[in-house]
Amino acid sequence: MSWLQRLFARRRMERDLEKEIQFHVDSQVSDKVRSGISESEARRLTRLEFGGTEKIKEDCRQSRGTMWLESLVQDVRYGVRQLRKSLGFTAIAILSLTLGIGANTAIFTLVNALLLRPLPVEKPSELLLFGDGLAQGSTSAIPDESTKLFSYPFFHDLRQEATSFSGIAAVDSSQSATKASIGGGAYQTAHVNLVSGSYFSVLGVPAFLGRTIGESDDGADGSGPVVVASYSWFQRQFNGDPSALGKTIRIQSHDYTLVGVARPGFYGYTVGQSTDLWIPLSMEKAFSRPGWDGLGSKFFQSLYLIGRLKPSVTATRASAETNVLFHQILRSYLGPQPSQEHLNELAHASVELNPGGRGVSFLRYAFSVPLKILMAIVAVVLLIACANIANMLLARGVARTREVAMRMALGASRRRIVLQLLTESLLLAFLGAVAGVALAWKASAVLLSMATPGPNPIPLNLTPDLPVLGFTLAATVITALLFGLLPAFRAAGLEFVPALKDGRGSSSSSTRGALARSLIVGQIALSVILLVVAGLFVRSLIKLSNVETGFDKQNVLIFSLDSSTANLPHGTSDEIRSVQLQEQIEDRVQSIPGVKADGFAFFTFNQGGWTDQVLFQGIPRTQSNDGQVFFNITGKGYFSTMGIQLVEGRLFTAQDTQTSNKVAIINETMARRFFPNGSPIGHRFGIGETPDHPGEKEVIGVVKDAKYSSLTEDKLMAAYFPCTQNPGFYGNFAVRYAPGANRQEIISRTRRAIAEVNPNILVNNVVSLEEQVDSSIATQSLVAQLSSFFGIIAVFLGCIGIYGLLSYSVARRTSEFGVRLALGARSHMLLWMILRECLLLLALGLALGVPVALSFTRILKSQLYELSPLDPTAISIAIAAVSIMTIAAAWLPARRATKIDPMQALRTE
Amino acid sequence: MEDRFDLPQGTLDLLIMRVVALGPIHGYAIAQRIQQMSREVLQVQQGSLYPALHRLEYKKLLASKWELSETGREAKFYELTVKGRAHLEVETENWKRLTDVVGLILKGTLEGLS
Repeated sequence: MSWLQRLFARRRMERDLEKEIQFHVDSQVSDKVRSGISESEARRLTRLEFGGTEKIKEDCRQSRGTMWLESLVQDVRYGVRQLRKSLGFTAIAILSLTLGIGANTAIFTLVNALLLRPLPVEKPSELLLFGDGLAQGSTSAIPDESTKLFSYPFFHDLRQEATSFSGIAAVDSSQSATKASIGGGAYQTAHVNLVSGSYFSVLGVPAFLGRTIGESDDGADGSGPVVVASYSWFQRQFNGDPSALGKTIRIQSHDYTLVGVARPGFYGYTVGQSTDLWIPLSMEKAFSRPGWDGLGSKFFQSLYLIGRLKPSVTATRASAETNVLFHQILRSYLGPQPSQEHLNELAHASVELNPGGRGVSFLRYAFSVPLKILMAIVAVVLLIACANIANMLLARGVARTREVAMRMALGASRRRIVLQLLTESLLLAFLGAVAGVALAWKASAVLLSMATPGPNPIPLNLTPDLPVLGFTLAATVITALLFGLLPAFRAAGLEFVPALKDGRGSSSSSTRGALARSLIVGQIALSVILLVVAGLFVRSLIKLSNVETGFDKQNVLIFSLDSSTANLPHGTSDEIRSVQLQEQIEDRVQSIPGVKADGFAFFTFNQGGWTDQVLFQGIPRTQSNDGQVFFNITGKGYFSTMGIQLVEGRLFTAQDTQTSNKVAIINETMARRFFPNGSPIGHRFGIGETPDHPGEKEVIGVVKDAKYSSLTEDKLMAAYFPCTQNPGFYGNFAVRYAPGANRQEIISRTRRAIAEVNPNILVNNVVSLEEQVDSSIATQSLVAQLSSFFGIIAVFLGCIGIYGLLSYSVARRTSEFGVRLALGARSHMLLWMILRECLLLLALGLALGVPVALSFTRILKSQLYELSPLDPTAISIAIAAVSIMTIAAAWLPARRATKIDPMQALRTE
Repeated sequence: MEDRFDLPQGTLDLLIMRVVALGPIHGYAIAQRIQQMSREVLQVQQGSLYPALHRLEYKKLLASKWELSETGREAKFYELTVKGRAHLEVETENWKRLTDVVGLILKGTLEGLS
């Protein structure tokens, strides 16, 4: 039945009921009149015999069974009328609920997308991930701890032996943003991932069109030049035209046949990355990445492995079997006579099996704790909003006493009154929730882009799905009950705390006052907690942004270049051509007016890194120099571009060629740790714990320390090598321009210069070094901004509560103040009288909130940079802010009391 | 009036259905018929009839239609549905068995006491 029909049916049923009852009464009266009783006496007797018609009608409605629905419709309509009658209250309530529920939904949307949602694969609960999935790239080290990445030979050997799994899939841990062209068209960026032949069948992802990659594609090296597209890439490129199957897709400089399209909604195994094209791992060698061709090598570990557990096998058994096989297989890789050192390392290695149904995600790792903190913060904001609305409802409850009394007198039961008032609360909450979901939809995408700034948005589906809507619904109902239950019971005269009533005459207004006051104390306590948290995050962020980076981040642009379509030589002696290409670009850009310096580098800031140990000739290993060194490979101009100052020796020059003496520049920390008392210049070292080429590199210079991969890192040892002696095309090109130069002009002229040198070198994106630094602390700054925002909202809501309470009490006591003033009270005494009440609430709130805040902030320790979770500045600022705002909120009504004209006040009573 | 007694729970439905089983009839007439049939012994609060009628109608044991009454006014006439007729038979049987059993027990107890 539609709404209209039901309303119509209700009207008709009401009319029929009225007619039926009336017929009975009339018949009975006329029978009595016929038997000789006077009409008025007949009516009186009938009323006695029949009973109250309204009561009977109500019973009839009740027995129809649809009563609850009818009352609901009635209550909702009544509620809407009530809410429209006090628009101010409704607007404030809905606004705070929108904000509260919206913020909760927005954060939960992210929590759901990153932490909870399973991949769109078959039976995700059966999937197990080998390792924790928190490494990306490749490593050649012999495993000596919980292993995260695996080699291709290991994958094959494990599959042969393992009996716990119905299948094991392998996928390259790093997805490449590379270039692809369809049927000889222009190259476009495409995200390509290499997968094993078992990938789609183990995950249980069927083809939408054609077929997926199968075992036959993943045989011998180069045996499977086929590609499977994601549904959204297929839609984008071919508008869903099935004749696209069989077309040739050129990825980099190799041709593949499009054999299929994966099921819609599947974007690969990594959450927060979306794969456009999958190709078999057998094609790894054809797929060019610098230093990335070791698929056949037993210790070239670059894959994630995912196993599907057999239904009858437990995860514990699978884990035990895997670890046994892992040790057996790796032991066999070490050869017949392994060194004791390698055996020791292997003895410490293990494989941890983790639930694999949610895929892997670095975002998940990075945001898990911040998201949980934010979730807690927004939950507290919602609580404060609830307290506020409850307080307003209590005040309204007093104003509506007469209305409630009237309805009770007309026969409404208490249950009915409570239900009606709760319906009003639910109505408010639902209005807030609808607006909140709309707000959250947009807000969660904005939050995500704030947390992960960059030219390309993170592909993460944030459309509200069932879990999100379920969460919002639950939050809404709980919210409505939280703020609606107490006022409703009070209004219906049901004592919540009967003890409070004992021994008091008319306690109604005083208990209301006590309730309202405790709500405000609670609000103050919660606000101060939120402000302390916000203060800590802001202070930590300030410290973080003032960290000495060791380089000058102003006026530097980082161009990210892609050479994959330029057909540069890899792994041959010809590779020096790449370096010559870089030098041509450096020279040409150097001559652009406004450019002060430029240089290529393997890494700039916060882009990961290459680390290993080093061994200096003639220097013993000590505790202090036995650590990882951060390596970089740079062009000649890199140091002046970054503003990294030379301390001793010289920088790279044109004399450092491919054939000359191999040189290195090290940072001060490395110099100090290896040569605490002398100069490192002229000393030689080799890379590795036991270097393959001992003493290969000669130190020619020492530069200042810098931050390399994050602002929070400790002092790292670092060494730089010149590009000429480590040939390869290094995609990061840094350009420093003069302070007043036109940035856009520099960018477009640099792009032109690069294209002139080689049109096949493509510029993927351009960011400033400052943006790179800022984005490395984007999460911290997001958390600081959001917690401050919510802290301010919380204090603001608390102030509204105090303002309301005191305004109400001043209005109620107008005549009392009039009398006091008439009897000679000074206005500042009145002011004090009212402020005293507020100060008491404030003191109670602080006494409650500060200790709780102090005991909770310890949880935040890991999120704070060089800041104690008991930072006195943050705590004092929070206390001061809450106090000032509370007193300001009380000041206005208090001032009003002092402005009372005694004569007028006395007359109004 | 003092000789009359109130109806045990649930029996009103049975009485109503018994009366309605005789043919379409409106609420007022049902009330009078129950009064007459029970030889004025049963005390039925006239008003309480209607919630019961509506409940039975909601359970689809009774059906209703609006027709002209003997006095020429439109009245709501009730009649048994097929489901209602079956229900009445079952309930009547149940009632008989119940009263028999209760009667037996009471009789036995009284005899035992005497």
